[in-house]
Amino acid sequence: MGIFGKMFGKPELEIGAPVAGEAVAIQEVSDPTFGEEIMGKGIAIRPTGNQVFAPCDCTVDLAFDTGHAVSLVADFGAEILIHVGLETVSLKGEHFSVKVKNGDKVKKGDLLIEFDREAIAAKGFDTITPVVICNSSDYTTFNTYVGQAVNPGDKVIGLKK
Amino acid sequence: MQQFTYTIQDPMGLHARPAGLLAKAAAACACDVKLTVNGTTVDAKRIMGIMRLAAKQGMEMTIACEGADEEKAAADLQAFVAANL
Repeated sequence: MGIFGKMFGKPELEIGAPVAGEAVAIQEVSDPTFGEEIMGKGIAIRPTGNQVFAPCDCTVDLAFDTGHAVSLVADFGAEILIHVGLETVSLKGEHFSVKVKNGDKVKKGDLLIEFDREAIAAKGFDTITPVVICNSSDYTTFNTYVGQAVNPGDKVIGLKK
Repeated sequence: MQQFTYTIQDPMGLHARPAGLLAKAAAACACDVKLTVNGTTVDAKRIMGIMRLAAKQGMEMTIACEGADEEKAAADLQAFVAANL
């Protein structure tokens, strides 16, 4: 990693925002599955966009047939779960369109899911979208970049082994 | 090895919350814990593995514990699934 790596230690492994919106602390998520970090550490996005993009170069581990969530394995090893809205599994796929399938290799910024945010919100669902690192305990450093508006790809999580 | 089978009662199946709770319960065991659904076996201590099974209500799952505390682990996990899944 050259002289800078030696000076500053290992580089931060970056997870970008998967959707446009406001990045917030995971504790703002009312569902304890996420807010209490049962699934691992993470952040959440209050989306203003309707598309979910790959947050880094990764492989699609599981594209849920309901479209409400996707799990990814980053090329650098992080296990990432993106869950679009809370309790949205009960929509059984309505208002979601999955663009990838299990095993697909995707690049940061590739489209994963499209969702009709307004229709989902109109049915009374909270559209807040947790982004969780399921193996966060594998990392010694877990930095979050929240409290700001983000575009897809903007850094929201930084990890170090 | 200690193992048991259980039929999933949760109408939503093994989705995020139960998968996360099951992984935590399994991670609390010192022994290896394997979860098998429909012929696919995963490490029950890893949330992503459990979710990959996409186990639904009515499916049968087998939990196998192997290691020093396997008897206690199997008993604890059996109580856990009965209460949560």
